[in-house]
Amino acid sequence: MKGIALVTGAGRGLGRILATFLSGQGYDMVITARTSSELHEVSKSLDGTGVRLVAISGDITDPAHRTRLVQQTGAMGGLALLVNNASDLGEIPRPELVSASLDRFRLTLETNLVAPIALIQESLSQLEKTRGLIVNISSDASQEGYERWGIYGSSKAALDLASKTLAAELRPRHVSVVSVDPGDMRTRMQQDAFPGEDISDRPLPEVTLPFWAWLVSQDPARITGMRYQAQGTLWEIPA
Amino acid sequence: MVSRLDGETHHAFTDLPWLLESGDLLVVNESATLPASLPATGRLGEIRLNLSTRFADDLWLAEPRWTASRPGPLPLIEAENLKIGEATAHVLQQYPGISRLRFVRFDTPASLLMAKYGEPIHYSYAPAYPMPNYQTLFSRFPGSVEMPSAARPITRHVRDLLRAHGIGIAGVILHTGVSSLEIENDVVEHQVLYPEIFRVPEATANAVNATHAHGGRVIAVGTTVVRALETAWTPKGVRACSGATGLYINPANGVHAIDGLLTGLHDPVTSHLAMLCAIVGLGMVKRAYADAIRNRYLWHEFGDSHLLWRQAAN
Repeated sequence: MKGIALVTGAGRGLGRILATFLSGQGYDMVITARTSSELHEVSKSLDGTGVRLVAISGDITDPAHRTRLVQQTGAMGGLALLVNNASDLGEIPRPELVSASLDRFRLTLETNLVAPIALIQESLSQLEKTRGLIVNISSDASQEGYERWGIYGSSKAALDLASKTLAAELRPRHVSVVSVDPGDMRTRMQQDAFPGEDISDRPLPEVTLPFWAWLVSQDPARITGMRYQAQGTLWEIPA
Repeated sequence: MVSRLDGETHHAFTDLPWLLESGDLLVVNESATLPASLPATGRLGEIRLNLSTRFADDLWLAEPRWTASRPGPLPLIEAENLKIGEATAHVLQQYPGISRLRFVRFDTPASLLMAKYGEPIHYSYAPAYPMPNYQTLFSRFPGSVEMPSAARPITRHVRDLLRAHGIGIAGVILHTGVSSLEIENDVVEHQVLYPEIFRVPEATANAVNATHAHGGRVIAVGTTVVRALETAWTPKGVRACSGATGLYINPANGVHAIDGLLTGLHDPVTSHLAMLCAIVGLGMVKRAYADAIRNRYLWHEFGDSHLLWRQAAN
């Protein structure tokens, strides 16, 4: 048994791949997503892998849902790996910042920035006990300033800065934090971001498997504060 | 064989100290070879599990093969188990884009299984030799599954001659994975390269930069060293660096950190050959290989050596 992992947004795309990969690694899993039918399907596909798996559907911006998740990981023995993967793309089609709905913007920030930090606050005592690792899923949109990516991109840029800050703040408490840009992938979110476009040139989210294999094999304390590109050519361990 | 812009010359390997100059630096791979081929049994009967890339002692990328000479891909399914002695290997996902490789998780540290059951990985072109034949003078850190073989002909005698000639030797670590899969895709641009674990120590980064600062030349001993040094290269020079590198060196990105490469002779259409083209250009590689064939040079890890200069040596 590797420990307990919590993956948000585990119903499809990257989150589903992560849930499958981590259960294959021997992690006991708590998985969550808003769409219960998809979450149920993931849960069913992982039957018989020999690990404990609990699926709880709900919205991570809902404090009561977060409490349920954290109570569950606590009851199973304490969280060792938190993957903040659930993300909200925002309005579709993606608007320019100057004409974006501010209320909708706030919802995106709630999901992509506030909820991950809330989950970290609420599970911190468990992560301290396990000397655990937090993985915040980012995006190259957080770095570039692409047109019409301001909502999603700024939420992820803020999450990147929160990751670095948390890494510094939590280092003395032996909790580690990394930020991971998975790169473009053939997922529902990618299709939503490019409605009507052919996205078949993007690789499936399985393309990130080698990175996850590498990441979960590292000593978290040695890589805390790093930002990785899962499809990049270098995954560096800082000196 | 030595390739310069103006053509090939032929030498004994022991001439190497005279082919280099005082102030030049050889960079060798200090990774040692593991007995990474494990006998495994399962639903498909007796097979071989050739380990390729170590992520953790219980998590490897592996190439399941029918036998040493008969490759896969094998019709394994996710979540099935293989037995290696009393130990169990769980077959996990395929490597994305390389169907022959799979992630495998062991219930026992793979280092123990290799110590007990492992043999060196070998292919049909050569017999299995005893394990010490797969180490070089510089093998210090176990982790490669195939010998980083370019340094194999450097004996103590040659090393001492190199030192006596004022030629430096520095080390990097890059743990090699299996090379078998390179025939899977014959379009160089479409090759998927899996990452390899590497380390460029600070002392070596400093030695490379000091050599260049003094007008000396840096010669990579093996393609693995090129991969490590180029990964660690920045416009300000080579820096200390460790982790996993997936860098694919080809004519489009070129090389910056090295001036020469001492290597073996490589099969056509491999990533190694693309790297050679990045260093000296396709025309020079073709000319050199034609000369190697004419002169009956030997290929692969126990074969002959080839020194390529990025530009004409003075």
